[in-house]
Amino acid sequence: MSVRFAGVSFRYPGADEDALRNVTLAFQPGEVTLLTGTSGAGCSTLLLTAAGLAPHVTGGTRTGEVDTLGVDPMTESGRQALAGRIGVLLATPWTQLSGMAYTVHDEVAFGPANLGWDREEIRAHVHESMKVAGVSHLAQRDPRTLSGGELQRVMFAGVMAMAPDLYLLDEPAAELDPAAAGDLYAMLSTLALDRAVVVASTDVDRLAEVVDRVVELEHGAVVADGPPAVVLGAAAAVERGTAPTVAVIAHRAGVPPDYPTSVAMAARRWSA
Amino acid sequence: MIIGYVAGEGLLHRAHPFTSLTIAAGVTLLAFALPGTLSPWVLAGMLVVLAVAAGLTGAVVTTLVFSAPLWVFLGIIYGVFGTDWAVAAVYAGRISAILLAFLLALAAVHPGRLVDALVARRVSFAIAYLLAATLQAVPRLQHRAATILEAQRCRGLRTGGSPWRRIRSIVPLAIPLVQGALAEADDRAVALEVRGAVSGCARTPLSPPRDHLLDRVVRWGTVLVVLAAVVLRVVT
Repeated sequence: MSVRFAGVSFRYPGADEDALRNVTLAFQPGEVTLLTGTSGAGCSTLLLTAAGLAPHVTGGTRTGEVDTLGVDPMTESGRQALAGRIGVLLATPWTQLSGMAYTVHDEVAFGPANLGWDREEIRAHVHESMKVAGVSHLAQRDPRTLSGGELQRVMFAGVMAMAPDLYLLDEPAAELDPAAAGDLYAMLSTLALDRAVVVASTDVDRLAEVVDRVVELEHGAVVADGPPAVVLGAAAAVERGTAPTVAVIAHRAGVPPDYPTSVAMAARRWSA
Repeated sequence: MIIGYVAGEGLLHRAHPFTSLTIAAGVTLLAFALPGTLSPWVLAGMLVVLAVAAGLTGAVVTTLVFSAPLWVFLGIIYGVFGTDWAVAAVYAGRISAILLAFLLALAAVHPGRLVDALVARRVSFAIAYLLAATLQAVPRLQHRAATILEAQRCRGLRTGGSPWRRIRSIVPLAIPLVQGALAEADDRAVALEVRGAVSGCARTPLSPPRDHLLDRVVRWGTVLVVLAAVVLRVVT
């Protein structure tokens, strides 16, 4: 088990209501999970809670039990034990810049260096992750001069370079063009070979085809959990506004549920 | 004008970060310890030569831009009203020399290089990061202020005109500047947390700067000169 939530609620400081409400779920190694919902549903908060950043950095109050890679990330010992073991990618890559690197290579190496690895090991991991993320050609650039999309890929390389045991990715393709987003999504199942990958995103059109499981949140509570075709193809998902475009079109065309969640699925169904 | 790190290959860029910082600290102490009206100006002159040799003449321009209004102010206070032009000259020289020394250090010392240098000397990463981030604080705030100014102008804020209008326009600039700085501190805490900075391991310096013999000679020379100046100041 990579992450386990048992009756978890979380409230930000000064907020009138909980951002997470009595959430109980688990993420397994070998599984790519999409967390989705309308804006403010609590997907990002769930990732922050799993990583221990909420409440440690954000402030606020958490109740219930969280077990991330065998420890409670809210405790001091848990935070230290998890350092470098969770690969967190935020939707705003510029806020993840170290500010201490004057080349992309050094920016990617920032995390591994913090883990005290020897230089050869760092070099090998940085080289490999930059290659996988497609940013090797940017190695000598100043990170502050990159575009949003380039920076997001660099930060992804930085996360991969730490060889984490769990990936928590918040809108990982928010800054990417469609082709680069497709490349990144295609990588997710490879990343999940022996670890859990949790992606918080509203890009259901593309992710429906690559994830193993979808968890839908609404007002901080889990309202659906299951395979993508079941969760995103349900009439309820269309009503909540979280269904893929194909499902919405099928709904409007009068097709009965369960709706197809991708163009390929729709083509298969209609040609059958 | 330059405030903050400028990429380059000049002699100060090649020097060990401790050397540039030692010079800045040494100039600050010497500006107060050396006797005579002209001594701060001699220091400033030496720094101008150093700036030109290091390819950082922009720091001299910045010093002039920020110092000139203070020279006028000091001239009016101590010269015109106090009739003591010598005091005005000493204060003006001190301010200019210290400002130029720190602008040169800021321009030549990359924060990452300073962190590597400190970590290589077994200083904890937390302290090293704090020191480097402090050096970056002024340029960061300056950059943020410029961004906010442009954003507020786009939204119709008029920052020119009468003194009263200029004063009123400070509030919509200052509040987002402070709030933004606080938010950035949170962002930075998240960035450090997710990138293993709390691991408790000793960080590996990626490319610790080489500490040449000349660097050590300059540093110890600066320390000795400062000590001599202080002793001279005390006994005379």
